[in-house]
Amino acid sequence: MGVRSSSKEIHQKDHNNSPYGYGYNLASSGTNLVSSLMKSWKTSSTRSSPRSNSSYTGDGNFDAMAKQQTTAIKNSSSSSSYSPLKYSSPIVSSGGGNSSGTRTSTDSAKLYASGNKYSSSYYRENGSGSTRKNDKYFRDLDEDWSAVIDDYNMPIPIITNGGVASPATPKITRSSSMKTTPTSSTTAMANQNASSTFSYPQLPQLQKSLTTDLRSQLEVENEREAQELSSMLQRMARFDCILKNKHIINQQELRQISWNGIPKPQRPVVWKLLIGYLPANTKRQESLLKRKRQEYRDGLEHVFSEQHSRDVPTWHQIEIDIPRTNPHIQLYQFKSVQRSLQRILYLWAIRHPASGYVQGINDLSTPFFQTFLTEYLPQSRLDDVEELDPESYLTESQLKDVEADTFWCLTKLLEQITDNYIHGQPGILKQVKNLSQLVKRIDQDLFNHFKSEQVEFIQFAFRWMNCLLMREFQMSAVIRMWDTYLSETSLETSSSSAAMISDTGTPRTPTEPVSMTFQSFTSPSTTSKSSSEDLPRIRRSSLNEFHVFVCAAYLIRWSDQLIEMDFQNIITFLQNPPTRNWEETDIEMLLSEAYIWQSLYKDATSHWQ
Amino acid sequence: MNSSVTSIKLVLLGEAAVGKSSIVLRFVSNDFSENKEPTIGAAFLTQRVNIGEQTVKFEIWDTAGQERFASLAPMYYRNAQAALVVYDVTKPQSFIKARHWVKELHEQASKGIVIALVGNKLDMIENGGERKVAKEEAERLAEEEGLLFFETSAKSGENVNEVFLGIGEKIPIKKPGEQANEQSGLRITDDQRVDLTNSVDGPVRSAGCNC
Repeated sequence: MGVRSSSKEIHQKDHNNSPYGYGYNLASSGTNLVSSLMKSWKTSSTRSSPRSNSSYTGDGNFDAMAKQQTTAIKNSSSSSSYSPLKYSSPIVSSGGGNSSGTRTSTDSAKLYASGNKYSSSYYRENGSGSTRKNDKYFRDLDEDWSAVIDDYNMPIPIITNGGVASPATPKITRSSSMKTTPTSSTTAMANQNASSTFSYPQLPQLQKSLTTDLRSQLEVENEREAQELSSMLQRMARFDCILKNKHIINQQELRQISWNGIPKPQRPVVWKLLIGYLPANTKRQESLLKRKRQEYRDGLEHVFSEQHSRDVPTWHQIEIDIPRTNPHIQLYQFKSVQRSLQRILYLWAIRHPASGYVQGINDLSTPFFQTFLTEYLPQSRLDDVEELDPESYLTESQLKDVEADTFWCLTKLLEQITDNYIHGQPGILKQVKNLSQLVKRIDQDLFNHFKSEQVEFIQFAFRWMNCLLMREFQMSAVIRMWDTYLSETSLETSSSSAAMISDTGTPRTPTEPVSMTFQSFTSPSTTSKSSSEDLPRIRRSSLNEFHVFVCAAYLIRWSDQLIEMDFQNIITFLQNPPTRNWEETDIEMLLSEAYIWQSLYKDATSHWQ
Repeated sequence: MNSSVTSIKLVLLGEAAVGKSSIVLRFVSNDFSENKEPTIGAAFLTQRVNIGEQTVKFEIWDTAGQERFASLAPMYYRNAQAALVVYDVTKPQSFIKARHWVKELHEQASKGIVIALVGNKLDMIENGGERKVAKEEAERLAEEEGLLFFETSAKSGENVNEVFLGIGEKIPIKKPGEQANEQSGLRITDDQRVDLTNSVDGPVRSAGCNC
């Protein structure tokens, strides 16, 4: 719930009545807001879109933060041109209610850089190397560090200043906190820290960064690197706080934090929790896994047994499609993987005769499979999952477990979008229609242009819906997108307690009961007038619903270009969009934009469900 | 230059994995890839070729083959002037599906639509695979239904361009300045290339396809 959270926080801090916190005044002019947002989106997107030669490193979150920071530095008047991301720069999250809100990430970066004796040497060594591997960060660290980091499960001292406890003294840097909290710090300690810092950082770009003009490029680089590392460790620690040593995992919190991306080591378990496969009650998890995995095996045995006649057309169709699934990724060329996927898809198809196997479902199974494989890889090799044959590191039984987990999570996912794949695919047709209606409202010019060029939305958007945009992005970006999708939209598993997202205005501790009052989302003009006590509580959207907003954001991003094109060029462009190299940061921009559109237009689309 | 370009709207139909996308890829990019991802919905591609003095621009809708997507097909063949109905010469089932598509096109598509029946994956036979659809059987169907007929290999490129050239030659060429007439439903056709039987009830070509 990053956007929400940061919006919320800004709201608190800025005394600006806009619930979106971007400094726009919604009450005065909603349309201006819309167009400004669009403009800002386009501005930032032109800067950020395909960055194949990017030298940014690390996981998306940090990337984006750094990128935006750089953007802000390059263009100090860009306070209106950032996208509403909400990267968790831990240092910035001093969280105090009386904080003025003007502290900038640059300031904190400076604090950080000056306070951390490790930072400059380490970051200089690694600053130029473009690596996406988390473990790279670890390998070159001083020993003190690796001692902490070797086991990611180990609680890592929280880098923030302890939030509520000491809002006025944010000058605790990583190194000082390292000194004060020895590496043997207990989980309780970490938990305590985390629970007291559940506030959200300011947007890194919310800065009037006059000081940065004077700073050298190198310094900026170093700071960015420093922030990336610290931010990553911080995030992992925060996930651990939610996941470890808990009887009941707080799903709310998990969703909230996962919206902004899940660290790779924790992704498998978090996905299983978010989608409702693993129960929040940790004491029940093991037995459930055991049962479900056995159930899967029994299911296979049944459909492949003598009594069960093979559904030949389905089997045949899946067989044809398996080698054509992610043909550019080595992982999917291994026979073991192909056999696994074939079993998963066939069993699912047999068990869901109303839909059966539909092309596109094969695509949807792969992010799960690939993510769950990483559970069995050492942390240093998580990024090799696309190259390694699972048979080289898994026993047959383990591979079956991965298969089973994939099967059940795929089942959970497809439950939410059954209508997309039944006869006539009404779910998809409806989404396409909703998309066109939404674009008509958001970007009338583009809509009219399509009309005059006789471009129909279904001609390009069908695939977007059928494959959840998977064909548009590379796998790492898709997986990052799913972090948000699963956080945003999963069906609730148990109680109604988490049936909606509660955005209370104050930082919550994990144990604090969540306010459950359902309040239907009100229109922007209304909310902008409401008091801060009365912030909109947003119900979770369905997967299809949120996806339409993502598609809208995706389409509108190209509005300026599309409006100059004729039919042929429009279709060709949209079918071969220049987004196959998009990085996680680009996805995060997109998701945030989608979130804003959803907030703004929810009232207009409430009839969708 | 543009004034002599004729556009032909063409649609590909056929069972999944018979090689529709591969035929188009070969024609448009002279390329082949062994495991192409299944087409979802439909893909749009264009290619220009010279036929005689004419430049013909093919505007190609390559549809998804899986049955579940079949309900989308009418949207794509509705305004098409030409259709390739593709089957796999090693898969009898795909030929049955091809018959269905030919039937549906004759019933639902524009009357003047030029249809080519295309048996793909010829290379598999040449490499020791077993032919399961006899050439004679396909020829018979083509004759009965008034179709062009080709056997192709998208992999080797064999006969692929010929399919499109054959279609291009069969489509009445539109002369510049013809548009005014089109709007009144008249079809002024080129001398030798006219296929009168096809053009009697021929569709009014949508204006602006020369864009």
